[in-house]
Amino acid sequence: MPPGSVQRNHVRVLGRPDGPTVMFAHGFGCDQNMWRRLVPQFLSDHRVVLFDHVGAGRSDMDAYDFGKYSSIDGYAGDIVEICDELGLSDVVLVGHSISAMIAAAAAAARPDLFSRLVLVAPSPRYVDDRSAGYVGGFTAADIDGLLDSLDSNYFGWATAMAPMVMGNPDRPELGEELTTSFCRTRPEIAHQFARVTFLTDARALLGRVVTSSLVLQCSDDILAPVEVGRYVHRHLPDSAFRQLRATGHCPHVSAPEETGAAILEYLRSTAPVPLSIAS
Amino acid sequence: MTPLAPVSVPSAAAYEQLFQQAPCAYLLTGDDGRIGWVNETFLRWTGYERSEVIGTPLPKLFPIGDQILYSTHGQPLLAMVGAVAEVAVEVVGRDGARRPALLSAARTAATDDLPATVRVIIFSAHERRRYERELLAARRAAERSESQRVDAEADLHHLALHDSLTGLLNRAALTGYLQAQFDGSGPLRPGLALAFIDLDHFKSVNDSLGHRAGDELLLTVADRLRGAVRGTAVTARLSGDEFVVVDAVTEPARIGEFAQRLLSVLNEPVLIDGVEVVPSASIGIAFAGQDTRTPERLLRHADIAMYRAKVSGRNSWQVHPQHNDPAADRLRRVGELRHGIERGELVLHYQPRIELDGGAVHSAEALVRWQHPTRGLLSPGEFIELAEDSGLVRELGAWVLEAAVAEAAGWQPVAGRRLGVAVNLSPRQLGDRNMVRLVTDALQRHRLDPSLLTLEITETALMLDPDAALRSLQALARLGVVLAVDDFGTGYSSLTYLKRFPIDELKIDQSFVAGLGVSDGDEAIVASCVQLAHAIGIHAVAEGVETDAQRASLAALGCDLAQGYLYSRPVPVDEFLRWCAAQG
Repeated sequence: MPPGSVQRNHVRVLGRPDGPTVMFAHGFGCDQNMWRRLVPQFLSDHRVVLFDHVGAGRSDMDAYDFGKYSSIDGYAGDIVEICDELGLSDVVLVGHSISAMIAAAAAAARPDLFSRLVLVAPSPRYVDDRSAGYVGGFTAADIDGLLDSLDSNYFGWATAMAPMVMGNPDRPELGEELTTSFCRTRPEIAHQFARVTFLTDARALLGRVVTSSLVLQCSDDILAPVEVGRYVHRHLPDSAFRQLRATGHCPHVSAPEETGAAILEYLRSTAPVPLSIAS
Repeated sequence: MTPLAPVSVPSAAAYEQLFQQAPCAYLLTGDDGRIGWVNETFLRWTGYERSEVIGTPLPKLFPIGDQILYSTHGQPLLAMVGAVAEVAVEVVGRDGARRPALLSAARTAATDDLPATVRVIIFSAHERRRYERELLAARRAAERSESQRVDAEADLHHLALHDSLTGLLNRAALTGYLQAQFDGSGPLRPGLALAFIDLDHFKSVNDSLGHRAGDELLLTVADRLRGAVRGTAVTARLSGDEFVVVDAVTEPARIGEFAQRLLSVLNEPVLIDGVEVVPSASIGIAFAGQDTRTPERLLRHADIAMYRAKVSGRNSWQVHPQHNDPAADRLRRVGELRHGIERGELVLHYQPRIELDGGAVHSAEALVRWQHPTRGLLSPGEFIELAEDSGLVRELGAWVLEAAVAEAAGWQPVAGRRLGVAVNLSPRQLGDRNMVRLVTDALQRHRLDPSLLTLEITETALMLDPDAALRSLQALARLGVVLAVDDFGTGYSSLTYLKRFPIDELKIDQSFVAGLGVSDGDEAIVASCVQLAHAIGIHAVAEGVETDAQRASLAALGCDLAQGYLYSRPVPVDEFLRWCAAQG
C-alpha cells in the first residue's frame, strides 16, 4: 500500500467519526466541491470522505501520470488506496458521471471494501454501438466535436473559467477558493480526462459487480439518457433504479435535497439488519 | 443647438427598447437552461423565430461538444458559484452555421415566490471587436464636439476678415485670432500648433503659365487645405504662396500625421490649362508655449522651421524645437528618427534561434537598433513607440525587412544548412497594401528562398481586425514565407480564430517562459501552448530562455525552437556569424 494517497487526492474526512462511511467521487468537469450542497444531509449520521481525482481540484498535479490515468482503472486504484490507507470498510461509494464507472471498477476489484454503490447519472459507454444495438446517445463524431471544443476553447473551458469580478452577495458562504479555482485544471489533463470519460467502454464491467447498487437517473440529461440508466440497471446484477425529477447532469448540484433523500432512503431500505435483533 | 434634456428615469418603453435592441444577445433561462425570454438582437443574430427558441434549453443551440462542456462545467459553476464569465462557445443559427460567441451568465437563486433565473449575455465574438472600435470612435467624436463648443467664439473671427481670392482668413484676421487665443482668460489651448505652408516653386508656375493659372493653383491649394483640416482648425493665406493652418494637436506624436496629411493633399496632381502640375510645399510647425506667447513670435518660429524644411529638400516638414518641453522634444525626435532612417543610422542585431532537439542553430531573429549620433545605441523600446505614433513605422519596417533579407541572403550555411531570418511586422505593416509587394521584391532582389524568411506578427495585431489580417496573411502565405504569431498568450486568445490563420509558428511570450519552474500557472500555459501548436500542426518557439533549467523544461515539453540570453543576446551581424561558426 503506497502511502500518501490521502495527500495526493486531497482527501477530506468530515461528519460523524463513528458513523457508516460514505465516500463521494466527483465526475468529469470539476472537483470535490461539486458535493458541497449534498454533503450536509450526511454529516450528522455518517462519516463523509471527499477527495479530488488526480488532475482535478487540489490534488497533487505532479502525481498525474498520463499512462496511469489513461483508463478508469488508474482512478479506481486510487480509490482503493484511499480506503486502505484510511482503513475503511463497508464503504458506501457514491460516484457521479464517469466516477460511477470508476466506482464499479473499484468495487469489482475489491468487493470487500464496499457495502453499496450509488451511481449518479452513470453511463458505461457514451458512444453508440450499432452492431450491439447499444444506444449511448453520441456518435464518434460527436465525441470528436467535444474534444475539438475542448481544444479550441482550451483556455476558455479548462483554465480560464474566469474568476468572477463581481461579488456574490447571494452566496456569502462560498469561499475565495471555490470562486477562483472551481472547475479549473490543466488543459492537457482536461483533454485526457475527457477522452477517458467519453471513450471508455465499461459495459463488460457491469456484470462483474457483486456489490448492491442504486442507479440514480436524471431527467433531460444530455450525457446520460434514460435508456442508458436502464441499461446499467439491467446489467448490474444487484441493482435498484430510481428516476429523479432533477434535470441536467448534476442532480447533486441542481437538486441536492431530492438527490440526498433518494440516497438516504436507499441506504435505510438496504441496511443490513443487526444480528442481535434478527435472531 | 438645443441642449439635451436632463436625464430622467427611463420609461418602461425605454427599458424595453434597451433590452430588445441591446448590442448583444440577452436571454433569461431557468436552472434547466430553458429559454424564457430573449431579445431581438439574439433572434436577428441567429435567424430564429421567437416561438422557436422559447422553451428550448439554451445548450441545445450549441454544437454537441459545447453542450457537453456546458453541462459538465457551465451549469455546475452557475449553480455553485453563481456565474460564468466569457466562456467561448459556438451558437448554431437557424441556417445551421456556427457563430463564435462569448457567453457570460449570472444566476439569481430562487426565492419563496420566484424560481431561480439565469441571466445570460451572448456576444458575437466578431461583433464585440467591432463594438470596441465603435466605442473608441464615439469617444473621439464627443471630444471633438466639445472642442467645437469651446471654439464657437473664435469662429466669429472666421467670418469677419478674409482673403478676397481664396476666402481664407487674411493675415490681420489670423493675427487677431491668435491674439485672442493668447489673451483669453483661461489657459492656452493645449497643443495649439501653427503650420506655416509655403508652396515650392510657385514662382515658376506663375512665370510659365501666367498669373491666372497661379491664382487657380492658389484656389486649389486653399480648397484642399480647408478640406484636409478639422472644423476647429483655422486656415489663412498670409500673402502670395504662404498659407497657415492653426489647430490643436494634443497628442504630440500626431504632429507627423497632421503635417503629412497636409503634404499629401497638396501633392495630388492638378490640371491647370491642360498642364498637369504636382504642387508641393515646405511646412514649418511651431507650438504656442512659454516662449511663443505672441502671434508674431509664433509665426516667426513656424517660418524658421519652414525655411529649414525648404533647405532640407522641400516637400517636407519641420518642427521648431521647443526646449524644456517634453512634447516638443518628442517632435524633435520624430524628425531625428526620420533622418536617422534616411541617413542609415539603423542597424540590425541578430539573436540566434536554436533547435531544442539537437541544439543546432536554426535561424536568427532580426532586431532593429538605432545608432543615434549623440545618444548612442538605442534599443527599439526607445523609439518604436515614437515610430508607431508618428507613422514612421512603415519606413522603419520596410528598411528592416530589406536589410534583414539582404543580410540573410549572404549567410553561409552552418553545418550544411541554410540559416533563416525572422523579422517582426508591425500592425500597420500588416494592414499595408504594399506589404506583399515589399516582401516579394526583397526576396527576389536578394534571391532568398522564401522558406528562410519568417514574419512575426503579434497576437494583438492579428486581433485588431481579424478579417483584414486573414487576407494579408493568406497573401503572405502564398509567397511561401513562414508566418509566426508573436507574444502568444498575452493577447485576446481565442483559438477558434487563430486556427483560421495560415500560421506556421507560435511564439510563447517570454513572461511565461520566465515563470517555468517558478509558477505552476505559467508552466501550464507554456505546456498548453506547445501542445496546442502541435495539435494544429505548427511549431512552438520559446523566447526569453535564460537558464538551462528553462531550456530543459522546454525540451521536455517538446517545444521546437528557443531563443534567449542562455544562447546569446542580440548581437551585430559579424558577432552573430562568429557565434554560429563557433557552434559548428
